[in-house]
Amino acid sequence: MAMAALRREGRRFAGSITAPRPMPDIRSALISEEQVPLGVRSISTQIVRNRMKSVRNIQKITKAMKMVAASKLRAIQTRAENSRGLWQPFTALLGDTPGVEVKKNVIVTISSDKGPEKEVKYVILGEKAKAQLMRDSKKDIELCITELQKNPLNYTQVAVLADDILKNVEFDALRIVFNKFQSVVAFLPTMSTVLSPEVVEREAEAGGTLGALDSYEIEGGETKGEILQNLAEFQFSCVMFNAVLENACSEQGARMSAMDSSSRNAGDMLDRLTIFYNRTRQASITTELIEIISGASALEG
Amino acid sequence: MASSGAAGPFWRAAGMTYVSYSNKCASMVRSCLKEPHRTEALEREKVHFSISKWVDGKPEKPSIREGTGGD
Repeated sequence: MAMAALRREGRRFAGSITAPRPMPDIRSALISEEQVPLGVRSISTQIVRNRMKSVRNIQKITKAMKMVAASKLRAIQTRAENSRGLWQPFTALLGDTPGVEVKKNVIVTISSDKGPEKEVKYVILGEKAKAQLMRDSKKDIELCITELQKNPLNYTQVAVLADDILKNVEFDALRIVFNKFQSVVAFLPTMSTVLSPEVVEREAEAGGTLGALDSYEIEGGETKGEILQNLAEFQFSCVMFNAVLENACSEQGARMSAMDSSSRNAGDMLDRLTIFYNRTRQASITTELIEIISGASALEG
Repeated sequence: MASSGAAGPFWRAAGMTYVSYSNKCASMVRSCLKEPHRTEALEREKVHFSISKWVDGKPEKPSIREGTGGD
């Protein structure tokens, strides 16, 4: 709705600009290209007034959009930071191994509305990623998921998604790509890795952080393999939840800073237009005064 | 999916993943609540998205999954 209002204002604004020229020249540009009927003696300020009105409206709209984005950001930021605690124990236990060599890589790209023989398959969440990846790797796309914004983000939705992905796609390693939220103006594209249970076993034998897994005692009636599988699925679901939240944060942050810079831009434009308007107005008043005075002195003299 | 030969827990044998199992348990717990907490919790359970599988670089017809997470 705000975008439609912005578009209207933009059209009105563009209609009153006849040609894009640098500011110092704009005075002559406007006056020379104005449709002034013959015999009219005063310079019309109507055009400038129209431009000022539309720029002011644009500024109001972008300010409102910024406020909306800021409030959404605040709400979602707390959730994202809380959800970080979900997968940190996993990383402490299993380690994060982005450099692992596996045969089947599945890349889950999350985006606002995605060795020897390595296969790479993509699962796309979101329209933006879909447009990008369709250009390069059309053949490698496995699943495409859209329309996620209808409900506010909750864990259940992510869990259902994770379930779908786990059922449909065979994988050795899942790499989730998303924008990690650092601050309102900075987001890092990050990749987190979730390994399938078989690969975890393999890495455990190779030693390192995963090798320490064997020193843990397993309670209950389940074997290590089953536990690893449950853990892997749950880890994937948690990491995806966090990734989706962080991505939403980054999106709102980007939107907020974009709206902020555009309102500031509109403010600058408004200042320049106001100065120009006043100068034109004063020039026309001066011209009239000169005519009146010279006329009067001609009568007397 | 059974790793060590044993059938494993019953839900694994039925074809569910751990994630879907915990989801079902969670929705059962949510339905045990009293009002007004119950409606709040059920709000948190809504699911809606559209998923389409791609074969050979061509998307198939997308299907919409929605409802509550209790599958």
